[in-house]
Amino acid sequence: MRMDQPSQRTRILAVSFSSRGFGYAVIEGGSALVDFGKKRIEGDKNMGSLAGVEKIIHRNQPDLLVLQDVNHAKGTRRVPRIKMLHKKVIALAKERHIRVVKIAGRDLRSRLLGDEEGTKQEMAELLAKQFSNELASRLPPKRTAWMNADPRMDIFDAVGLAVAAHDDGAAMKLNG
Amino acid sequence: MASLSNYLRTHRKRLAFSQEEVAFLLGVNGTDKATKVSRDENSAREPSLQSALAYEAIYGTPVRELFAGLYEEMEQKVAERAKLLGFRTTGKATRQRQEVIANLLSKLTV
Repeated sequence: MRMDQPSQRTRILAVSFSSRGFGYAVIEGGSALVDFGKKRIEGDKNMGSLAGVEKIIHRNQPDLLVLQDVNHAKGTRRVPRIKMLHKKVIALAKERHIRVVKIAGRDLRSRLLGDEEGTKQEMAELLAKQFSNELASRLPPKRTAWMNADPRMDIFDAVGLAVAAHDDGAAMKLNG
Repeated sequence: MASLSNYLRTHRKRLAFSQEEVAFLLGVNGTDKATKVSRDENSAREPSLQSALAYEAIYGTPVRELFAGLYEEMEQKVAERAKLLGFRTTGKATRQRQEVIANLLSKLTV
């Protein structure tokens, strides 16, 4: 992997929370996926998730934190626990002087797939091609109606947020 | 923005190795092998020269790129010393030495 010169680098951390825990991705300079993964949290999910995100921030020192817009986006149905967790994570980022960007699910699909009705699976397949070394082996199988969401999808959700934030900053809400 | 201190985790994940597997390749013995790799990745300690070179062999990436943040830090320190050396040797340095010092000074960011 060829690293860019320091002046060309912006490190973006994206976190995607789910009922199991969260997925995260760190992109540097737009083209290098420097860290990614998923954490399953047992017990107090919000406290565990917050501690996990804090550790990742400490490890990767990002310039920008990207989250899904779960409060104001049209059609969002996130549970109150995750909405509360987002507020805590945003407060943590502000404490560390990290800019926060929120992207609505529809905007994310629209930017990555050019279609706001696109599916998570289509997005994951696109990202697995873009970061084939890191993600191709982690692409979940296509989900059928009777299957639960694959935990690995949390990683792809986070990578998608990071890529979208890097590609186009125009329609984002800053520090919201 | 400055580089991360090291990119060991990035390269390990790219190759889908576990910390235990990397520890095995490094030749680490003992029951808690993954801990050594974890400490290297989290910059809790600086690996030995042997380990650094073993990482280069495993990941196929030069040490200066694997430890980019540490390299940049060292480069700055050397450049600062080169500035002092430049003052000390003004007038008596050969052309080749002057070029080396000028090259090091060009890397000073502040």
